[in-house]
Amino acid sequence: MSSPSGFRELHEAIGFAAANGPWFERVEGSRVIRAFRPGPQHANAHGIVHGGMLAAFLDSAMGAAVSHTLQRRCVTARLTIDYLVPGRVGDWLQAEGEVLGHDEQVAQVRGRLYGPRHDVLAGLGAFALLSRQRQPKIRS
Amino acid sequence: MSDDHPPDDPPAGFQRIDFDRGRPVTFNSHVGTLYCKRGTKGTRDEFVMGFRVHQHMCNPAGGLHGGMMMTVADLVGTMGGGTLVGLRKFLPTVSMTFDFVAPAQRGDWVEGRAEVVRQTRSLLFTDIALTVGDSRILRASQIAKIPSGEGQTFGKARLDRSAEVADPKMSVKGTAA
Repeated sequence: MSSPSGFRELHEAIGFAAANGPWFERVEGSRVIRAFRPGPQHANAHGIVHGGMLAAFLDSAMGAAVSHTLQRRCVTARLTIDYLVPGRVGDWLQAEGEVLGHDEQVAQVRGRLYGPRHDVLAGLGAFALLSRQRQPKIRS
Repeated sequence: MSDDHPPDDPPAGFQRIDFDRGRPVTFNSHVGTLYCKRGTKGTRDEFVMGFRVHQHMCNPAGGLHGGMMMTVADLVGTMGGGTLVGLRKFLPTVSMTFDFVAPAQRGDWVEGRAEVVRQTRSLLFTDIALTVGDSRILRASQIAKIPSGEGQTFGKARLDRSAEVADPKMSVKGTAA
């Protein structure tokens, strides 16, 4: 499976993320870009990428943005997703998040998932920030 | 997925949903196995989707992955919501909001139910809940598009009735696969 240069495969993924990977990541300064190339196992019966898969992937990218920007671990509290156009199997899809604001407990994040031609998903989420003392391994 | 996990052991009344019927595996089978129970019309159990939480559905902390919750909630809205209003078409999702109310653990049996809020000519508004026992783990709301005309049918999904083959009355029908 080919991937554009600069992307690192997330080998540490286990469970759901590993079963639905491989997922890739590239850090560009303050941005974290995640990417994957959907295969037939990510599609629904109509040959387009399953909405649940796209939601899961965008969620992970938005969580990665929180970790990278705020250096805090987080869990998703709320996620709103608009499905703009179908995701196509075989396309290289990228997703990234932007932290719009935060306090000690919650971060607001805007996310987008896009293919080579246009945006596929628009997201808006509230991510609960875990205590700085706790170090559970939550995010993949 | 591979069979390296304990059996699903679904509660009575649940049947495996055979999404692909021998064709190459699609996402709903890949993340599953997913089950469905049909109950009396007009009751909250008219359409129930269920699954057992296994390792391949979990996050690194060992809890049910949010992506799996969203996948099933999406499906409960389009497939379940569509069933409740008598639509056999494939309903593409337009928008969804998910509130991750509580975690679920490996071994939990998760159920999903839809409630239709409103149906217009072109849109279906539904509320979706995922539960473990009596407690809610996910609250979601969905807007799905109702395609004009006949549209596409909901894939090839059928309930797998092979478990009933032991019953001689059912063996004549066999399985849809």
